[in-house]
Amino acid sequence: MQNESAIDPKIIEEILKFSKNVIDAPKFVSAPDEISLEVTPHKVVQEIDKTRLLHYKPIIETKHKTPLLISYALINRYHILDIHPEKSWVRNLLEQGFEVYMLDWGTPTSMDKYLDFDDYVNGYLESSVEHIKNQSSTEQISLQGYCTGATIATAYTALHPENVKNYIATAPVIDGWKDTTVISNLAKHMDADKMVEIIGNMPPEFMYYCFSVLKPFEQGIEKYVKFFKNIDDKKYVDNFLRVEKWLGDTPPIPGELFKQWIKDIYQENLLIQNKMHVGDELIDLKKIDMPMFTQVAVGDHLVSPECSMPLHYAVGSEDKTLKIYPTGHVGMIASSLSQKKVLPEMGTWLAERS
Amino acid sequence: MQSKSAKDSVESSTNMTEYYKHLSLFWTDIIHLMSSKPQALTSIGPMRAFAANSKKISVELIEINENLLGFNQYITEYYKQLSEVWGVAQKKVNQKAPKIPQDVEQIEAVKRIWIDIFDNDFTELFDSKKFGENYGNLVSKELELTKHWNNITNVILQSVNLPSKEEVDEVYKEIHSLKKRVSKLELELKKEKRKNAK
Repeated sequence: MQNESAIDPKIIEEILKFSKNVIDAPKFVSAPDEISLEVTPHKVVQEIDKTRLLHYKPIIETKHKTPLLISYALINRYHILDIHPEKSWVRNLLEQGFEVYMLDWGTPTSMDKYLDFDDYVNGYLESSVEHIKNQSSTEQISLQGYCTGATIATAYTALHPENVKNYIATAPVIDGWKDTTVISNLAKHMDADKMVEIIGNMPPEFMYYCFSVLKPFEQGIEKYVKFFKNIDDKKYVDNFLRVEKWLGDTPPIPGELFKQWIKDIYQENLLIQNKMHVGDELIDLKKIDMPMFTQVAVGDHLVSPECSMPLHYAVGSEDKTLKIYPTGHVGMIASSLSQKKVLPEMGTWLAERS
Repeated sequence: MQSKSAKDSVESSTNMTEYYKHLSLFWTDIIHLMSSKPQALTSIGPMRAFAANSKKISVELIEINENLLGFNQYITEYYKQLSEVWGVAQKKVNQKAPKIPQDVEQIEAVKRIWIDIFDNDFTELFDSKKFGENYGNLVSKELELTKHWNNITNVILQSVNLPSKEEVDEVYKEIHSLKKRVSKLELELKKEKRKNAK
């Protein structure tokens, strides 16, 4: 009898409200497929194979002479850097007066399984840099790499330092042995040769598995409960759907590139030891001698700070800055913190050197 | 230490697999040999190709069964690890939140405790060497199964005069190599043009 009277009527009310939100959701909310993730206007200025070089339309008059090229990660697509007008990394840089280019790696198919580090570093990235140099009549560009895109950008900067005026590494994947994340644990025990021999490219399903083991209950259950609870909050819902759509769009990674990645970075840790080869060339991090800015996030559960920070200490630059932010991997590039702190600090640093 | 009955069971299962492997190979070989002579006279080939293909497919199917044994072992261990962690995490939640929640605030608090404990315990498992090793072996066995399936598909593709995966791969490799050479030449040309324009 005591139990019956102890039930709070608010519990029933909450359950009914939640059920109503679930039923009403399709009336208020767009389907993820109906949302376009391309926010800031841009032109495609070069296409090679499946890659595209995007040039963003200036919002204000360009204040800085050196253009900035962003080398986005190979996991998911570049849209997270331009996910929402209020949280757009690209838009913020345009508002600070920078000329911004983005390298979209595209979606590789089975035919691209032989693409390797050399193709990405000395092919696609090098062609983009040359294109920008031609277009902007400058001899050097500023280069920013994010996550795995920073590993490619780091290799490029070490091989072609004459082309890079300033280098910004945002959550770079560098020291695989020091990486404390779940991803690195899985990568260390993977037979990459067998996967590439049998499947070809690294399939997106494998990346989805990797995402699913990152905070599985917060990300797999609570996140969706919150979404339905806040279904009438337009701003929250819009942001949620954009990020969800971005998370669900993971292209395969070309087999040879993936193999070299797993073996050279996570299993043998060659890059930080200056023993990694791209094509026939050895990557020597000491050759990175231009101004360098490294950004890491303490709560990064995809690339731990211990994996990224060694780059700051390994390069030959004398003008170098390391910034550590109280956020996560995505929070560093697409959040209110990134707009209020990460980007203004990076912009000030870059403006002084551009 | 494996018990005697478990050992016997493994041995008997291995013997059974070996027996069926032998039986299948015996008949496919005999059919192949028998068909090769008299049928060569009366047929122009398809039956012989059929027998040879059947043999290849039988061998793949037998090996798939062998791989399945290994795959089952690792997948059992995978779910065992998950369920053990689930049990321990649930006990921790019960200790921290022993009472049945009575209002909305209490439900929220219990939910938070549940999520935090489960996320922490599962992350600890996913970070562990034993999970990494078993998961690596599980994926490896899954890949071996896929390889057998690929091999069977290749036999079928070749029987209808279509290129096999290896033959298509050779073409991909050749295209990649050609594209790489052309890209390097184009890039060099671009650089030369810029130099000359100065």
